[in-house]
Amino acid sequence: MSNNVSLGTLFKNGVFGENPVFRLALSLCPAVAVTSGVKNGFLMGVAVLFVMTMTNVTVSLLRNFINPKVRIPSYVFITATWVTVIDLWMSANQRAVYKDMGLYIMLIVAFAIILSRAEMFASKNKLLPSFVDGVGMGVGFLLALMLLGVFREFLGKGSLWGAQILPGKPLLIAIMPTGGFFAMGLMMGGLNWMDRKFFGGTGGGGGGHH
Amino acid sequence: MKDIIKITFPLVVIFVVAGVIMAVTYQYTHPVRVQAEKKEKELALKEMAPQATDPIKPAGTWTVNNKPYEYYQATAGGKPIASIAETAGKGYSSYIKMLVALSPDMKISDVKVLDMNETPGLGDQVLEKSFLDQFKGKSLPQIVLIKGETKENIQAVSGATYSSRGVTNGVKDAVQMLVDKYGAGIKTAAAQGVTK
Repeated sequence: MSNNVSLGTLFKNGVFGENPVFRLALSLCPAVAVTSGVKNGFLMGVAVLFVMTMTNVTVSLLRNFINPKVRIPSYVFITATWVTVIDLWMSANQRAVYKDMGLYIMLIVAFAIILSRAEMFASKNKLLPSFVDGVGMGVGFLLALMLLGVFREFLGKGSLWGAQILPGKPLLIAIMPTGGFFAMGLMMGGLNWMDRKFFGGTGGGGGGHH
Repeated sequence: MKDIIKITFPLVVIFVVAGVIMAVTYQYTHPVRVQAEKKEKELALKEMAPQATDPIKPAGTWTVNNKPYEYYQATAGGKPIASIAETAGKGYSSYIKMLVALSPDMKISDVKVLDMNETPGLGDQVLEKSFLDQFKGKSLPQIVLIKGETKENIQAVSGATYSSRGVTNGVKDAVQMLVDKYGAGIKTAAAQGVTK
Protein backbone atom coordinates (compact mmCIF):
# COMPACT_ATOMS: atom_id res chain seq x y z
CA MET A 1 0.00 0.00 0.00
CA SER A 2 2.00 2.90 -1.21
CA ASN A 3 1.76 5.59 -3.82
CA ASN A 4 2.44 3.31 -6.76
CA VAL A 5 -0.89 1.49 -6.34
CA SER A 6 -3.50 2.68 -8.84
CA LEU A 7 -6.54 4.46 -7.47
CA GLY A 8 -8.91 1.81 -8.83
CA THR A 9 -7.02 -0.91 -7.00
CA LEU A 10 -7.08 1.19 -3.88
CA PHE A 11 -10.86 1.52 -4.07
CA LYS A 12 -11.38 -2.18 -4.75
CA ASN A 13 -9.07 -2.93 -1.89
CA GLY A 14 -11.28 -1.06 0.54
CA VAL A 15 -14.45 -2.71 -0.71
CA PHE A 16 -13.23 -6.30 -1.10
CA GLY A 17 -9.64 -7.20 -0.33
CA GLU A 18 -9.49 -5.29 2.93
CA ASN A 19 -13.16 -4.88 3.70
CA PRO A 20 -13.23 -3.18 7.10
CA VAL A 21 -15.76 -5.54 8.63
CA PHE A 22 -15.11 -8.90 6.99
CA ARG A 23 -11.40 -8.60 6.32
CA LEU A 24 -9.82 -6.18 8.74
CA ALA A 25 -12.41 -7.15 11.37
CA LEU A 26 -12.52 -3.59 12.66
CA SER A 27 -15.50 -1.72 14.06
CA LEU A 28 -17.38 -4.96 14.62
CA CYS A 29 -19.17 -3.51 17.62
CA PRO A 30 -21.21 -0.94 15.68
CA ALA A 31 -21.53 -3.41 12.82
CA VAL A 32 -23.39 -5.73 15.15
CA ALA A 33 -25.27 -2.99 16.98
CA VAL A 34 -26.95 -1.24 14.07
CA THR A 35 -27.58 -4.05 11.59
CA SER A 36 -30.87 -5.31 12.94
CA GLY A 37 -32.38 -3.83 9.78
CA VAL A 38 -31.21 -3.03 6.26
CA LYS A 39 -32.23 0.61 6.56
CA ASN A 40 -30.26 1.24 9.74
CA GLY A 41 -27.23 -0.45 8.24
CA PHE A 42 -27.46 1.70 5.14
CA LEU A 43 -27.87 4.98 7.04
CA MET A 44 -25.01 4.17 9.38
CA GLY A 45 -22.89 3.21 6.38
CA VAL A 46 -23.55 6.53 4.68
CA ALA A 47 -22.65 8.48 7.81
CA VAL A 48 -19.44 6.50 8.21
CA LEU A 49 -18.61 6.95 4.51
CA PHE A 50 -18.83 10.71 4.95
CA VAL A 51 -16.84 10.91 8.17
CA MET A 52 -14.28 8.42 6.88
CA THR A 53 -13.65 10.36 3.67
CA MET A 54 -13.50 13.76 5.36
CA THR A 55 -11.20 12.52 8.11
CA ASN A 56 -8.87 10.87 5.62
CA VAL A 57 -8.74 14.02 3.51
CA THR A 58 -8.13 16.29 6.50
CA VAL A 59 -5.48 14.07 8.02
CA SER A 60 -3.74 13.76 4.66
CA LEU A 61 -3.71 17.53 4.19
CA LEU A 62 -2.35 18.09 7.68
CA ARG A 63 0.05 15.14 7.67
CA ASN A 64 3.15 17.33 7.74
CA PHE A 65 1.64 19.71 10.28
CA ILE A 66 0.52 17.19 12.89
CA ASN A 67 3.26 16.41 15.37
CA PRO A 68 3.75 12.61 15.46
CA LYS A 69 3.93 12.67 19.26
CA VAL A 70 0.37 13.94 19.54
CA ARG A 71 -1.07 12.44 16.37
CA ILE A 72 -3.76 10.33 18.05
CA PRO A 73 -5.49 13.25 19.82
CA SER A 74 -5.24 15.17 16.56
CA TYR A 75 -6.90 12.38 14.55
CA VAL A 76 -9.60 11.85 17.12
CA PHE A 77 -10.35 15.54 17.26
CA ILE A 78 -10.53 15.80 13.47
CA THR A 79 -12.93 12.84 13.42
CA ALA A 80 -14.99 14.37 16.22
CA THR A 81 -15.27 17.62 14.28
CA TRP A 82 -16.69 15.95 11.18
CA VAL A 83 -18.99 13.78 13.25
CA THR A 84 -20.33 16.88 15.00
CA VAL A 85 -20.81 18.62 11.66
CA ILE A 86 -22.81 15.75 10.17
CA ASP A 87 -24.75 15.33 13.42
CA LEU A 88 -25.75 19.00 13.49
CA TRP A 89 -26.58 19.02 9.80
CA MET A 90 -28.74 15.93 10.01
CA SER A 91 -30.53 17.13 13.12
CA ALA A 92 -31.57 20.22 11.19
CA ASN A 93 -32.12 19.02 7.63
CA GLN A 94 -32.77 15.29 7.78
CA ARG A 95 -35.17 14.98 10.69
CA ALA A 96 -36.68 11.63 9.71
CA VAL A 97 -33.28 10.00 9.32
CA TYR A 98 -31.95 11.66 12.45
CA LYS A 99 -34.76 10.21 14.53
CA ASP A 100 -33.71 6.72 13.51
CA MET A 101 -29.99 7.02 13.96
CA GLY A 102 -29.18 10.16 15.89
CA LEU A 103 -28.10 7.91 18.71
CA TYR A 104 -25.46 6.13 16.67
CA ILE A 105 -23.91 9.10 14.90
CA MET A 106 -21.89 10.31 17.88
CA LEU A 107 -20.42 6.83 18.28
CA ILE A 108 -18.59 7.17 14.98
CA VAL A 109 -15.93 9.21 16.82
CA ALA A 110 -14.73 6.05 18.50
CA PHE A 111 -14.82 3.78 15.44
CA ALA A 112 -11.60 1.83 15.17
CA ILE A 113 -11.79 1.75 11.40
CA ILE A 114 -11.64 5.54 11.05
CA LEU A 115 -8.74 6.00 13.43
CA SER A 116 -6.88 3.11 11.85
CA ARG A 117 -7.23 4.48 8.30
CA ALA A 118 -5.99 7.86 9.48
CA GLU A 119 -3.02 6.24 11.20
CA MET A 120 -2.22 3.56 8.60
CA PHE A 121 -2.99 5.35 5.37
CA ALA A 122 -3.94 9.01 5.33
CA SER A 123 -1.04 10.15 7.48
CA LYS A 124 1.43 8.64 5.00
CA ASN A 125 -0.23 9.38 1.65
CA LYS A 126 -1.11 12.28 -0.60
CA LEU A 127 -4.55 13.83 -0.81
CA LEU A 128 -6.00 11.89 -3.76
CA PRO A 129 -5.06 8.36 -2.65
CA SER A 130 -6.26 9.18 0.87
CA PHE A 131 -9.58 10.38 -0.52
CA VAL A 132 -9.99 7.22 -2.60
CA ASP A 133 -9.00 5.06 0.35
CA GLY A 134 -11.59 6.79 2.51
CA VAL A 135 -14.32 6.34 -0.09
CA GLY A 136 -13.31 2.71 -0.72
CA MET A 137 -13.24 1.81 2.96
CA GLY A 138 -16.48 3.70 3.53
CA VAL A 139 -18.24 1.89 0.68
CA GLY A 140 -16.83 -1.42 1.94
CA PHE A 141 -18.20 -0.69 5.39
CA LEU A 142 -21.55 0.36 3.94
CA LEU A 143 -21.88 -2.82 1.85
CA ALA A 144 -20.87 -5.03 4.76
CA LEU A 145 -23.44 -3.38 7.02
CA MET A 146 -26.15 -3.74 4.41
CA LEU A 147 -25.29 -7.38 3.80
CA LEU A 148 -25.53 -8.08 7.52
CA GLY A 149 -28.74 -6.08 7.65
CA VAL A 150 -30.33 -8.07 4.82
CA PHE A 151 -29.34 -11.35 6.43
CA ARG A 152 -30.56 -10.42 9.91
CA GLU A 153 -33.71 -8.52 9.02
CA PHE A 154 -34.86 -11.20 6.59
CA LEU A 155 -34.32 -14.01 9.08
CA GLY A 156 -35.39 -12.11 12.16
CA LYS A 157 -38.37 -10.15 10.94
CA GLY A 158 -39.16 -11.67 7.56
CA SER A 159 -38.90 -8.23 5.99
CA LEU A 160 -36.45 -6.12 4.00
CA TRP A 161 -36.12 -2.34 4.48
CA GLY A 162 -39.27 -2.49 6.59
CA ALA A 163 -41.36 -4.16 3.87
CA GLN A 164 -42.83 -7.44 5.03
CA ILE A 165 -41.93 -10.33 2.71
CA LEU A 166 -42.49 -13.46 4.76
CA PRO A 167 -45.66 -13.79 6.82
CA GLY A 168 -43.91 -14.65 10.07
CA LYS A 169 -40.61 -14.31 11.85
CA PRO A 170 -38.48 -17.30 10.87
CA LEU A 171 -35.68 -16.81 13.39
CA LEU A 172 -36.22 -14.04 15.89
CA ILE A 173 -32.78 -14.47 17.41
CA ALA A 174 -31.20 -13.05 14.24
CA ILE A 175 -32.09 -9.49 15.19
CA MET A 176 -31.04 -9.86 18.80
CA PRO A 177 -27.45 -8.92 19.68
CA THR A 178 -26.59 -12.62 19.93
CA GLY A 179 -27.81 -13.15 16.40
CA GLY A 180 -25.56 -10.33 15.27
CA PHE A 181 -22.50 -12.29 16.35
CA PHE A 182 -23.81 -15.42 14.68
CA ALA A 183 -24.50 -13.55 11.45
CA MET A 184 -21.09 -11.90 11.53
CA GLY A 185 -19.25 -15.17 12.12
CA LEU A 186 -21.17 -17.11 9.51
CA MET A 187 -20.79 -14.39 6.95
CA MET A 188 -17.08 -13.91 7.54
CA GLY A 189 -16.57 -17.66 7.29
CA GLY A 190 -18.69 -17.88 4.16
CA LEU A 191 -16.82 -15.07 2.43
CA ASN A 192 -13.44 -16.57 3.31
CA TRP A 193 -14.58 -19.91 1.95
CA MET A 194 -15.77 -18.29 -1.27
CA ASP A 195 -12.56 -16.36 -1.60
CA ARG A 196 -10.46 -19.51 -1.24
CA LYS A 197 -12.68 -21.61 -3.46
CA PHE A 198 -13.32 -19.28 -6.38
CA PHE A 199 -10.75 -16.51 -6.31
CA GLY A 200 -7.72 -18.39 -5.14
CA GLY A 201 -7.24 -16.13 -2.15
CA THR A 202 -5.80 -17.21 1.14
CA GLY A 203 -9.09 -16.52 2.84
CA GLY A 204 -7.36 -14.88 5.75
CA GLY A 205 -10.22 -12.71 6.90
CA GLY A 206 -10.17 -11.39 10.41
CA GLY A 207 -6.46 -10.92 10.42
CA GLY A 208 -5.83 -8.84 7.35
CA HIS A 209 -5.61 -10.02 3.77
CA HIS A 210 -2.54 -9.66 1.49
CA MET B 1 10.51 24.10 26.69
CA LYS B 2 10.96 24.52 22.97
CA ASP B 3 9.84 20.94 22.50
CA ILE B 4 6.65 21.51 24.42
CA ILE B 5 5.71 24.41 22.19
CA LYS B 6 6.64 22.47 19.06
CA ILE B 7 4.35 19.62 20.10
CA THR B 8 1.51 21.66 21.53
CA PHE B 9 1.25 24.39 18.94
CA PRO B 10 -0.11 22.29 16.04
CA LEU B 11 -2.51 20.58 18.42
CA VAL B 12 -3.84 23.90 19.68
CA VAL B 13 -4.23 25.17 16.12
CA ILE B 14 -6.22 22.07 15.17
CA PHE B 15 -8.42 22.42 18.26
CA VAL B 16 -9.13 26.08 17.60
CA VAL B 17 -9.89 25.62 13.89
CA ALA B 18 -12.08 22.59 14.64
CA GLY B 19 -13.89 24.57 17.29
CA VAL B 20 -14.58 27.36 14.82
CA ILE B 21 -15.88 24.90 12.22
CA MET B 22 -18.25 23.34 14.75
CA ALA B 23 -19.41 26.72 16.03
CA VAL B 24 -20.16 27.98 12.52
CA THR B 25 -22.07 24.78 11.66
CA TYR B 26 -24.07 25.14 14.86
CA GLN B 27 -24.79 28.77 14.07
CA TYR B 28 -26.32 27.84 10.74
CA THR B 29 -28.09 24.61 11.65
CA HIS B 30 -29.54 25.47 15.06
CA PRO B 31 -32.30 27.86 13.92
CA VAL B 32 -33.30 25.39 11.19
CA ARG B 33 -33.47 22.63 13.77
CA VAL B 34 -35.57 24.65 16.21
CA GLN B 35 -37.94 25.57 13.39
CA ALA B 36 -38.23 21.95 12.24
CA GLU B 37 -38.86 20.72 15.78
CA LYS B 38 -41.58 23.29 16.33
CA LYS B 39 -43.25 22.38 13.07
CA GLU B 40 -43.05 18.66 13.85
CA LYS B 41 -44.73 19.24 17.19
CA GLU B 42 -47.53 21.28 15.64
CA LEU B 43 -48.04 18.60 13.01
CA ALA B 44 -48.13 15.82 15.60
CA LEU B 45 -50.66 17.72 17.70
CA LYS B 46 -52.78 18.43 14.65
CA GLU B 47 -52.81 14.71 13.85
CA MET B 48 -54.04 13.95 17.35
CA ALA B 49 -57.07 16.19 16.89
CA PRO B 50 -57.83 16.39 13.17
CA GLN B 51 -61.21 18.08 13.74
CA ALA B 52 -59.65 21.04 15.52
CA THR B 53 -60.12 24.24 13.56
CA ASP B 54 -58.37 26.62 15.95
CA PRO B 55 -54.68 26.43 16.73
CA ILE B 56 -54.03 23.91 19.52
CA LYS B 57 -52.98 25.80 22.63
CA PRO B 58 -50.84 24.64 25.56
CA ALA B 59 -52.98 24.41 28.69
CA GLY B 60 -50.27 23.76 31.24
CA THR B 61 -47.57 21.39 32.37
CA TRP B 62 -47.69 18.25 34.47
CA THR B 63 -45.09 15.84 35.83
CA VAL B 64 -44.61 12.15 35.21
CA ASN B 65 -41.44 10.15 35.93
CA ASN B 66 -40.04 13.36 37.45
CA LYS B 67 -40.06 15.10 34.12
CA PRO B 68 -42.28 17.97 33.07
CA TYR B 69 -44.62 17.44 30.12
CA GLU B 70 -47.13 19.72 28.51
CA TYR B 71 -50.80 19.25 27.87
CA TYR B 72 -52.99 21.00 25.34
CA GLN B 73 -56.56 21.93 24.56
CA ALA B 74 -57.88 21.52 21.04
CA THR B 75 -60.92 23.54 20.09
CA ALA B 76 -63.15 23.92 17.06
CA GLY B 77 -65.00 27.21 16.84
CA GLY B 78 -64.25 27.89 20.51
CA LYS B 79 -65.74 24.57 21.70
CA PRO B 80 -63.34 22.06 23.25
CA ILE B 81 -63.10 18.88 21.21
CA ALA B 82 -60.06 17.17 22.66
CA SER B 83 -57.46 17.32 25.40
CA ILE B 84 -54.02 16.18 24.44
CA ALA B 85 -51.21 15.31 26.85
CA GLU B 86 -47.57 14.58 26.35
CA THR B 87 -46.56 11.66 28.50
CA ALA B 88 -43.95 8.96 28.97
CA GLY B 89 -43.78 5.47 30.41
CA LYS B 90 -40.77 3.40 31.37
CA GLY B 91 -40.37 0.54 28.93
CA TYR B 92 -37.69 -2.11 28.86
CA SER B 93 -34.73 0.00 27.78
CA SER B 94 -36.06 3.53 27.45
CA TYR B 95 -38.76 5.98 28.33
CA ILE B 96 -41.46 5.70 25.70
CA LYS B 97 -42.63 9.23 24.92
CA MET B 98 -46.19 9.58 23.68
CA LEU B 99 -49.09 11.86 22.91
CA VAL B 100 -52.50 10.88 24.22
CA ALA B 101 -55.71 12.53 23.03
CA LEU B 102 -58.95 12.40 24.98
CA SER B 103 -62.33 13.32 23.59
CA PRO B 104 -64.57 15.50 25.86
CA ASP B 105 -66.33 12.37 27.17
CA MET B 106 -62.95 11.32 28.62
CA LYS B 107 -62.43 8.41 26.25
CA ILE B 108 -59.13 7.94 24.45
CA SER B 109 -59.35 9.01 20.84
CA ASP B 110 -55.74 8.45 19.84
CA VAL B 111 -52.31 7.38 21.12
CA LYS B 112 -49.15 8.18 19.26
CA VAL B 113 -45.57 7.20 20.14
CA LEU B 114 -43.17 10.10 19.63
CA ASP B 115 -39.89 8.67 20.77
CA MET B 116 -38.58 5.39 22.13
CA ASN B 117 -35.56 3.17 22.14
CA GLU B 118 -36.86 -0.32 22.76
CA THR B 119 -35.28 -3.53 21.51
CA PRO B 120 -35.64 -3.76 17.72
CA GLY B 121 -37.83 -6.70 16.75
CA LEU B 122 -39.25 -7.21 20.23
CA GLY B 123 -40.03 -4.07 22.18
CA ASP B 124 -40.62 -1.96 19.11
CA GLN B 125 -43.67 -4.07 18.30
CA VAL B 126 -45.64 -1.73 20.55
CA LEU B 127 -45.45 0.75 17.68
CA GLU B 128 -47.71 -1.47 15.63
CA LYS B 129 -51.24 -0.28 14.95
CA SER B 130 -52.78 -3.48 16.26
CA PHE B 131 -51.41 -2.68 19.72
CA LEU B 132 -51.92 1.08 19.84
CA ASP B 133 -55.43 0.94 18.34
CA GLN B 134 -56.55 -1.04 21.39
CA PHE B 135 -56.52 2.18 23.39
CA LYS B 136 -59.04 3.92 21.15
CA GLY B 137 -62.46 4.40 22.75
CA LYS B 138 -61.31 3.14 26.16
CA SER B 139 -61.83 5.05 29.38
CA LEU B 140 -59.63 5.20 32.49
CA PRO B 141 -60.78 2.03 34.35
CA GLN B 142 -60.29 -0.04 31.20
CA ILE B 143 -56.64 0.83 30.79
CA VAL B 144 -55.22 -2.29 32.38
CA LEU B 145 -52.56 -4.43 30.75
CA ILE B 146 -53.52 -8.10 30.39
CA LYS B 147 -51.30 -10.93 29.23
CA GLY B 148 -53.64 -12.87 26.99
CA GLU B 149 -56.80 -12.33 24.95
CA THR B 150 -58.88 -9.35 25.94
CA LYS B 151 -61.29 -6.99 24.26
CA GLU B 152 -62.21 -5.01 27.36
CA ASN B 153 -58.67 -4.11 28.42
CA ILE B 154 -55.26 -3.78 26.77
CA GLN B 155 -53.60 -6.94 25.50
CA ALA B 156 -49.82 -7.01 25.91
CA VAL B 157 -47.71 -7.84 22.86
CA SER B 158 -46.15 -11.23 23.51
CA GLY B 159 -42.39 -10.86 23.76
CA ALA B 160 -42.77 -7.17 24.54
CA THR B 161 -44.45 -7.19 27.95
CA TYR B 162 -42.21 -4.53 29.49
CA SER B 163 -42.61 -2.20 26.55
CA SER B 164 -46.38 -2.79 26.52
CA ARG B 165 -46.45 -1.95 30.21
CA GLY B 166 -44.46 1.22 29.56
CA VAL B 167 -46.95 2.41 26.97
CA THR B 168 -49.94 1.45 29.12
CA ASN B 169 -48.58 3.16 32.26
CA GLY B 170 -47.73 6.31 30.32
CA VAL B 171 -51.19 6.46 28.79
CA LYS B 172 -52.86 5.71 32.11
CA ASP B 173 -50.99 8.48 33.93
CA ALA B 174 -51.91 10.96 31.22
CA VAL B 175 -55.58 9.96 31.19
CA GLN B 176 -55.69 10.11 35.00
CA MET B 177 -54.25 13.61 34.94
CA LEU B 178 -56.64 14.82 32.24
CA VAL B 179 -59.66 13.28 33.96
CA ASP B 180 -58.63 14.96 37.24
CA LYS B 181 -58.32 18.26 35.44
CA TYR B 182 -61.27 18.16 33.06
CA GLY B 183 -63.32 15.09 33.98
CA ALA B 184 -65.44 16.87 36.57
CA GLY B 185 -66.87 18.90 33.71
CA ILE B 186 -68.84 16.00 32.26
CA LYS B 187 -70.19 14.82 35.59
CA THR B 188 -71.61 18.19 36.55
CA ALA B 189 -74.03 17.74 33.68
CA ALA B 190 -74.57 20.66 31.41
CA ALA B 191 -71.04 21.97 31.61
CA GLN B 192 -70.41 23.26 28.14
CA GLY B 193 -67.03 24.90 28.37
CA VAL B 194 -64.44 22.79 30.08
CA THR B 195 -63.17 24.58 33.13
CA LYS B 196 -60.81 23.43 35.75
